Amino acid sequence: MTTAQLDKMRLELRRGVLVLAVLGSLRQRHYGYSLRRHLQDAGIDIDEGTLYPLVRRLADQGLLESEWQQGEGRERRYYQLSELGAELLQQLTQEWSTLNNALLPLLQPEQAKPTEEQG
Amino acid sequence: MDLVKRYIAAVQRELPEQKRQEIGRELNANIMDELDALAEQQGSQLNEQQVAVVLKKMGHPTLVARQFYPAVPLIPLQVMPLYKHTLFMVLGVLFVLQVVFVTKNWLAGADMGLLLFIMGVASGFIEDAVFGFTAITLGFALMPENTQSGPCKGYSQWQPLELPAVGESWQHISLSDIFSDLTTYAFLLLLIWFPLWQQYFSEAATDGSVFSEHSLQLFMWFSPFIVLGVLSSLWQLRRRIWSRQSLTLNVLVNLAFFTMFLLLAAAGPLLQLDTERWAVYFSPDTLQQSIRIGLVFFALIPGYEVVRDVLRLRRFLKQ
Repeated sequence: MTTAQLDKMRLELRRGVLVLAVLGSLRQRHYGYSLRRHLQDAGIDIDEGTLYPLVRRLADQGLLESEWQQGEGRERRYYQLSELGAELLQQLTQEWSTLNNALLPLLQPEQAKPTEEQG
Repeated sequence: MDLVKRYIAAVQRELPEQKRQEIGRELNANIMDELDALAEQQGSQLNEQQVAVVLKKMGHPTLVARQFYPAVPLIPLQVMPLYKHTLFMVLGVLFVLQVVFVTKNWLAGADMGLLLFIMGVASGFIEDAVFGFTAITLGFALMPENTQSGPCKGYSQWQPLELPAVGESWQHISLSDIFSDLTTYAFLLLLIWFPLWQQYFSEAATDGSVFSEHSLQLFMWFSPFIVLGVLSSLWQLRRRIWSRQSLTLNVLVNLAFFTMFLLLAAAGPLLQLDTERWAVYFSPDTLQQSIRIGLVFFALIPGYEVVRDVLRLRRFLKQ
């Protein structure tokens, strides 16, 4: 597999997960840069050029509430999960757990082999 | 921080007017936070080169603007095959009409050679095609179903039982084949019947025909088969899969064309030439002889199709 193919597939894999990570992080109030740091600290590295537009799109869909505030001598836009966003996050988390539980055995070749042989 | 302002302005230029102010303001706040954090980390103010590195990492202004405000395609992806199909159908019909129109002008006595005829068809078709393309694209773009997201209604209303049977790849009929057949039939019908219509309406003698009298007579006898060919093409257009019935009809039509070309080749001079006028340029007898040989070669095309379709029919019968 070429690097370009891997990058494309990785991007597709991360796309949906990033939405979940952002929604999960915004249970607490964050502004753009603090959200990025928060995700980085949690082990999710995301480009600024991807994160900031994503947050805005989620806000445009009514999943986030936002307000401009002065902080440390600079105005910043703070985001937090809206009621609709919280509801959606709950459903998505459930979906993620189901998927994850189903996916894990499939990704472990040692466990998958005996089942294949039995079949 | 002139570089940051230039970067934000470049992003804003790619955004719609009503979004520029708000996105620019937010992007500026985020970039300044990034730069402050970096300056704090290294313990000194950033120089222009370091700011440029941060901006480069953010991405090209056009790409960033597209991330903020993704472009909406004029034609949604789910209706793209339908759009292409409609476009091809309409452009095909426009081409046929253009051939008919130019042929009519040619037969009405317009002074044009083969090159002018081809140019007339091409220029008229391009003019019509531009209009057709614009109208279809706008029609699809403004269709209420396409301005909303979600699956297309047409794809949700289908029945598995209505699907055609599994067939081999040759069973699929291409649109280009159907339209080239339709164009040929329309051209031939006009060529045969236009001098007669002209005579009927003007009550004058038929001196406009390019064909000799007995060739024209032969053509007229074969006109029902040409009409049958048009009907066959229209049927193929409606259901673009070869069936036993449509193959049989195609064999019949091609057999008629094969016979017609051979009879025309055998019957004598095809064209009615003004021998005195043309004798200066070439020998009329040689031309008529060349046309007869050409007709035999032409006959090979429908002849090949007859053999091909008979073999296909046999395969059908074996199934």
